[in-house]
Amino acid sequence: MIRELYNYRQLLKSNVRKEIRGKYKGSFLGVLWSFVNPLLMTLVYAIVFPFILRNSQEHYTTFIVIAILPWTWFTTSISQGTNCILMQGQILKKVYFPRIILPLSIVLSTLINFLISCLIILLFLLFSGIGFSWYILLLPVVVITQFILTLGIVLITSSIDVYIRDLEYIINFFISMLFYATPVLYSMDMFPKKVQMILHLNPMATIIESYRNIFFYQRMPNILGLAIVFIISLLLLILGIFTFTKLEKGFAEEV
Amino acid sequence: MKKKIKDDSNAIIVKNVSKRFKLVYDKPFTLKERLVFWNKTKTSYHEVLKNININIKKGETVALIGVNGSGKSTLLKLMTKIIYPTEGTIITNGKLTSLLELGAGFHPDFTGRENIYFNASIFGLTAAEIDNRVQEIIDFSELGEFIESPVRTYSSGMYMRLAFAVAINVDAEILLIDEILAVGDKHFQDKCYKKLEELKNSDKTIVIVSHNLESIQNLCNRGIWIHEGKVKLDGKTKDVVNEYLKVCG
Repeated sequence: MIRELYNYRQLLKSNVRKEIRGKYKGSFLGVLWSFVNPLLMTLVYAIVFPFILRNSQEHYTTFIVIAILPWTWFTTSISQGTNCILMQGQILKKVYFPRIILPLSIVLSTLINFLISCLIILLFLLFSGIGFSWYILLLPVVVITQFILTLGIVLITSSIDVYIRDLEYIINFFISMLFYATPVLYSMDMFPKKVQMILHLNPMATIIESYRNIFFYQRMPNILGLAIVFIISLLLLILGIFTFTKLEKGFAEEV
Repeated sequence: MKKKIKDDSNAIIVKNVSKRFKLVYDKPFTLKERLVFWNKTKTSYHEVLKNININIKKGETVALIGVNGSGKSTLLKLMTKIIYPTEGTIITNGKLTSLLELGAGFHPDFTGRENIYFNASIFGLTAAEIDNRVQEIIDFSELGEFIESPVRTYSSGMYMRLAFAVAINVDAEILLIDEILAVGDKHFQDKCYKKLEELKNSDKTIVIVSHNLESIQNLCNRGIWIHEGKVKLDGKTKDVVNEYLKVCG
């Protein structure tokens, strides 16, 4: 499979480019929207939340922007990825190419968006006076873990969505629920240990915390927790590849 | 397992292949429908291909003939791996390009030139390989300055010319062509057949579905007549066409 993907690398490349540029075709700001959107979200939360919650968090805007950008990466890849096979239905019926290119290029294009938006995080760190630390070097480890996790999920959801189209809506609901179960707007320390343990069942919780440790608190992320999430993600990816290759044979007939 | 069956002299091996399509009335697409009607949907199967066995050798030019609905196009789609057989196996040996429908994967807003890149990448070419061929493709398509216009402004003939020019220039070892040449004018059709003739002489494998019996008699050295999902006759194109005309002409 990997050799086949390598043979079709040009298609993967042009597909990723199409995903990044084509999405905002016709809009004024174009690609910039991928960054303006999470920033506006951050702005809303930063204004609203200190009002409703008694919030003692210092540098709250920076605190949440560090979490919102990776979270946006996660949600856009899942929601775009889930229906990516259905969206390309017409072409699936006419030509052969490795079908896995479609979900892969979604997750890759959102990854590139995220990497660029990391500059925003750096700007926030700079201007809030928090500064940088050597822990930033651990960033690739966290990014790779999240990439594997996301790709695994998208492979499963995109292939099942062809057969059961409700999945798209179920997933979207599930993700907006998950947002509140993930320490994006708050920090885990608010909760008693028991609740924390339950919340850590969500792999994104550990991942978001790791970003925050690296950028915000500038300390070592929880290596054991991250290692467990990495292994889970890897298993999910294997399950995803298995599901996808099993289900892709029927794509052209079902879409 | 693959190695055992692999035989380098064969380009396409179709072994005991059957294909059934599920015919579902009111197909349940959503969970609700699936739950509510979980055993009420009427399902019947339509067997398009029944136990097909074909070996196509490297360098052969094969014409698939038969009346509409006999399963020719399904067989081509199976060879391309767009759909998969219900039973049996299909093994192809070598880089494969198929031209099943006009400009599959053309993006209407992109220019002809951009679509060459996009379409050729779907066939598995790298940017450098496309760079080398792009001029040849444009020349073959005879689109001239229109190559810089968006494809949505093309006529169906121009569309076909571009699609054919790309597919034929990607250097595939196996070329699968469904009835698509009918769109072009006489001049372009002749040119396509001439190019196919060239490919045939350079030892490429070609499988073509066509109702243009005269042209394929000249081009192909082997004819396979498919009737109601079965191979009815397999042999020299001329003999097969004659038999076919006796029954269906």
